[in-house]
Amino acid sequence: MSTHLFGLTDRTFSYSHSVGRNEFAGTGFRNPVDMALGADDIVYVINRAYENRPDGVRVTVCTLNEEYVTEFGSYGEGDGQFIWPSSIALDKDENIYISDEWLNRITVFDSNGEFVSKWGEQGSAQGQLDGPAGLAISGSSIYVSDSRNNRVQKFSLDGQFESSFGESGDGSGQFNMPWGIGLDSSGNIYVTDWRNDRIQQFDQSGKWQATFGTPGTAVGQFNRPNSVSVDKDGDIYVSDWLNDRIQVLAPDGRFITQLTGDHMLSQWGKDKMISNPDMIRQRQLAITHSSDFDKNFSHPTAVKVNTDGQVVVLDSTRGRLQIYTKNTEPVLI
Amino acid sequence: MANNDIALMTHLLRRAGFGASRAEVESRAAQGYESTVEELLNPNDHPGIEEDLLFRYQPAYNEPAAIETNVQQWMYYMINNPRQLQEKVALFWHMIFCAGHSKIDSGQEMGLMIKMFRENGMGNFRDLLMLLSTSPGMIYYLDNSESHKTAVNENYGRELLELFSMGVGKDEEFNYSEDDVKACARAFTGWNIAPSYPPFPYGRSAWEFRFDPADHDESDKTFLGQTGNWNGEDILDMVCGQPATARFVARHLYNYFVADEVPVPSWRQTPPKDPELIEALEAAYFESNYDITAMLRVLFNSESFKNARYTKVKNPAEMVVSTLRLVGDHQDIKPGLFEISQEPKYMGMDLMNPPTVEGWHTGHEWIDSGTLVERINFASDYLGQTNLPGVKGIVDRLMSEGETISPKQFVDGCLDLVGQLQVTDETYGELVSHAEREGDLTHKSDTEQQDFVRRSGEMLQMIAATSEYQFG
Repeated sequence: MSTHLFGLTDRTFSYSHSVGRNEFAGTGFRNPVDMALGADDIVYVINRAYENRPDGVRVTVCTLNEEYVTEFGSYGEGDGQFIWPSSIALDKDENIYISDEWLNRITVFDSNGEFVSKWGEQGSAQGQLDGPAGLAISGSSIYVSDSRNNRVQKFSLDGQFESSFGESGDGSGQFNMPWGIGLDSSGNIYVTDWRNDRIQQFDQSGKWQATFGTPGTAVGQFNRPNSVSVDKDGDIYVSDWLNDRIQVLAPDGRFITQLTGDHMLSQWGKDKMISNPDMIRQRQLAITHSSDFDKNFSHPTAVKVNTDGQVVVLDSTRGRLQIYTKNTEPVLI
Repeated sequence: MANNDIALMTHLLRRAGFGASRAEVESRAAQGYESTVEELLNPNDHPGIEEDLLFRYQPAYNEPAAIETNVQQWMYYMINNPRQLQEKVALFWHMIFCAGHSKIDSGQEMGLMIKMFRENGMGNFRDLLMLLSTSPGMIYYLDNSESHKTAVNENYGRELLELFSMGVGKDEEFNYSEDDVKACARAFTGWNIAPSYPPFPYGRSAWEFRFDPADHDESDKTFLGQTGNWNGEDILDMVCGQPATARFVARHLYNYFVADEVPVPSWRQTPPKDPELIEALEAAYFESNYDITAMLRVLFNSESFKNARYTKVKNPAEMVVSTLRLVGDHQDIKPGLFEISQEPKYMGMDLMNPPTVEGWHTGHEWIDSGTLVERINFASDYLGQTNLPGVKGIVDRLMSEGETISPKQFVDGCLDLVGQLQVTDETYGELVSHAEREGDLTHKSDTEQQDFVRRSGEMLQMIAATSEYQFG
């Protein structure tokens, strides 16, 4: 008997578990748009919520093992508040940086969620922002995808302009509303070129190196990709937002696999349901009718990887994280 | 460009949409009336809302769950959808095929129903009735989910005939009998909803139609004089072929787009206000095999429609959306739509939640002492904001009339630029009298410009408070 393996074969992923549920406060998330992974399995999730439920705009802090830690931030224009929070990043001391694409500013919190400072002003001149969307921190610098200015700007952590790259367009090194930013271990910069439906790779100086993807639904194609991360092997993870999937690409951009969701009820989900027998029955009947709704991603807004080989997907509309493990050995399923 | 071309185009865009800026009116007038009508009637030939942008900035609008979010999303569409007639038609069907959140208790289902009206409301009426009859929200709202082979609930069957297709009667005759209602309801037994996910912990799944053959009455039924083992689809075929249905759809289109008719319960005894146009609409219905777009083509190109300017009381959604389009607010995606989305409710129209299956009482019944205050306050508040792009455009245009303009020219210009508003002599006299208190308007110096802007804002607010502004 022969074994047929076609192409890239040594990377497989197994669903591990889920964290969270839809909530406007406490143990859950509501229309989360980004997350950051910290030390000790801590995850910070920023919630956009609804306009008519501003109480849901906040940062939820919990662990990948579904232990609730705290929450901070609120809706508004004051210090430590947000209108449209869009991205989150951590520095080496685990200070927290959050962009707001309505207020055009970056707010800095300490690791306890206490407001430290804010910086940024609206405009298109060098160092000004118009719709800061994605963030990524490298040492003492922070990259900001300045979406409506179609560029990536690099600042010091206290907001001093350092450099920028990109302009409006669909050629190499040009952008149409860039969103997510990821960095690899060599300091290369990956940007989800959102409205061009592609990923672009730049070196540390902002020089274009490669482009991955075209518009579409086939493998290696994207429909408004919004988040990108790179693991220690150089594999690239892209949340393919309107295709409701995560695509995994090899360092050279070749397609490896896609994740579409494998959810099993989280502990917080069980806690919510356990006292409501009618909903338990309704859920069971619904699963019998169709299990796809429950399992599949719905508009994933972020994907992050950690050094333990965990791939964390922010499954936005369902208000949960789905966590996968990158296997080192073949796994019998 | 002739003033009557502008006035006619303003009228068309006010009725077949929610109004337009003066620049768009002039551009459309240059394009020509019939050509514009054709463009409105073929919305899918043109780009619609950029949903990717909308969902990016308002992620809750992507698969919206809460009723408030669904109403906000619809409000955004009404203000900004370039396919304006689609939105106007979606509102039209929502006001006839009434289902409401107060019973359905799912904002998502209400939003999906409006989406169905938006996407199919200008198509084939038989197809639309099929979508309505298989709409899980409507099935639940009118209790068809509780209608079983062994225990028939007549609610959907009755309303399908009375309120959604044939109407009680025409030309003083009854269109169907109680036995027809019973047969109709039996034909729709087994039309039900598949199990769906509960709201917790991850949000509801969209409800899905499911036919249960074991719960369907397979016995013979006599409906409108024909006997057979009819199911719901057979009923729709028979209903759509009735002259009564053609009359019913035609009168509703007339009532919504042309002029206020008598209330629906009076239609059996009261002949149409404009029998000639109704007849033409009925003919278009049959000639096109029940195509709503074909009926709208006849309607918009009729002289009755062209001459029916400012004869209809704006419904609250029209009042809010047309005012926002005039002043140019919320044309970008920005915070604040929740407050806006509540305004029609304050004026008596709780969108996605009509008072009963019979819908809202329209025409002059939109106005009472409370709702009138809401309407005037809303419109005058926005028209007085001279920093808004639409208002600023009106002021700039007024200034372009000359270095000095008289109070009378000023009033004429303001009335013209809010949509060629026609006012009574009395109203006109009061507006001119107010303008005359401060004399001619000039805009040479900064101070004069500031005064010009202030006086424009005040005059626009006064116009928004006239009884004439209540009409569309």
